Amino acid sequence: MGKCRVAVTGLGLVSPYGGDLADFFLRLLNGESAIRFLQTNDIPVPLAVPFVSCPEFDADAVLGRALAGTMDRFAQLGTSAAFGAWQDAGFSRGSSEESREDWGVSWGTAMGGTFAVEKAYRELWQKGRERISPMSVVLAMGNAASAHISIQLGLGGISTNHSVACASAAIAIGEAFRRVRSGETPVMLTGGSEAPQSYGVVRAWESLRVVAGGDENSSSCACRPFNADRSGLVLGEGGSALVLEDWDHAVARGARIHCEMVGYGTSCDHSHIVRPEMGGQVRALKAALVDASLATDEIDYINAHGTATIEGDPIEIAALRSVFGERAARLPVSATKSMHGHQLGAAGAIEAIVTILALREKAIPPTANLENIDPACKGVGHVTTGRHNQRLTSALSNSFAFGGSNAVLAFRAVA
Amino acid sequence: MVFIMKSLTVIREFLDSRLGIGPEKVLPEALLADLGVDSLTLVELMFEFEDRFNVTLGKDFAGPTTVGDLASLMDRLRGEQG
Repeated sequence: MGKCRVAVTGLGLVSPYGGDLADFFLRLLNGESAIRFLQTNDIPVPLAVPFVSCPEFDADAVLGRALAGTMDRFAQLGTSAAFGAWQDAGFSRGSSEESREDWGVSWGTAMGGTFAVEKAYRELWQKGRERISPMSVVLAMGNAASAHISIQLGLGGISTNHSVACASAAIAIGEAFRRVRSGETPVMLTGGSEAPQSYGVVRAWESLRVVAGGDENSSSCACRPFNADRSGLVLGEGGSALVLEDWDHAVARGARIHCEMVGYGTSCDHSHIVRPEMGGQVRALKAALVDASLATDEIDYINAHGTATIEGDPIEIAALRSVFGERAARLPVSATKSMHGHQLGAAGAIEAIVTILALREKAIPPTANLENIDPACKGVGHVTTGRHNQRLTSALSNSFAFGGSNAVLAFRAVA
Repeated sequence: MVFIMKSLTVIREFLDSRLGIGPEKVLPEALLADLGVDSLTLVELMFEFEDRFNVTLGKDFAGPTTVGDLASLMDRLRGEQG
């Protein structure tokens, strides 16, 4: 099979700012943080952490109560985002004249249905029950979102989930890209979703000592990537979906094309289970550039992985300096996790959408709260306030995960 | 008859909260499949019933097909164990 060009024809979001793409991007451009102080009624000790929720999301309203009831929160977020992307691409959810038996879904989630797992454990261990809900397995299983999306959209090709920690959705998008580019299928629905606010999951992340602290007054500024006083990441929930489509297929049906996806690079650090390694990130960046046939001086923006951890941020900057050389200092880089939080397995999808909207709108959202750049994070063109009317042709989105798995996605604006 | 009414109430409450089906549609002659009750949902409902009335459902109970069948099954269990 030859190489097909790949168009991005659909985008869908369930974000902390809502689902409107233009409004979502405008808020990021304005540096508006969605981070709030989360307080729960959990027993024995309530959670009290900075977090990013999607307060407007009403699963019953979007999916209907019967369908929503068969899903854990991450699958509700994901399926709703997929519905949005599908509609944005101009596809119907009903019957179609064109067969969709080889159209597929490639999804990403790191944690899966943690609410169902947690509820089951509470029943078993706190209440002493011997029996739990018969829905436990189908709510918790990692491929629940991809399966529901395939069922609801009537897609008969591959339906798969990638669970690769914080690179899950980026790898899901990259693998979908390869399937369309190879000519294996004309359409893939891809993206990721995560809902990591269950009690045990938050406690687990806290114990890793990589989560930023904060209170009611300071939470909106809690995530400070590349800043000298950064203290860690802020967890968030959400779902983001993209429709990747064979270019000729998209043109033939008159579809609106947001941008072209042109490359995908992956690697593994193969060194440590949590400590990132510059060499692995460099190889992923170079692989994406080669795959996209792009030179370093053709990249106009990078949406960084930029979680705001003490250890991770300088290594990503070092990798960028290594790959981009002298150009690095002028290369616009921003970490939008400072505003929409870290959606773990879904992060690569929301950040891919940010990157695509940057190309489409010719504007670059900032890294919020970046007031005093850590000397170890200097050497790239940090974007600290939103930039409009930019010359933007090609851009990258980085996702670097625990386990050392790295993924870089490359996009090009429509001429 | 008293049991039937209580069992029907349980079924109606469950189908309303779980599937969003109004109680006016949950009539004794209604087919469970037509109401969107699949095998998993039926087990959920039976577990709810067991919890509410402290009875135990055998593993090999015959699958009811109508709301009336289900209510009768519930009534029988409550009569035997309640």
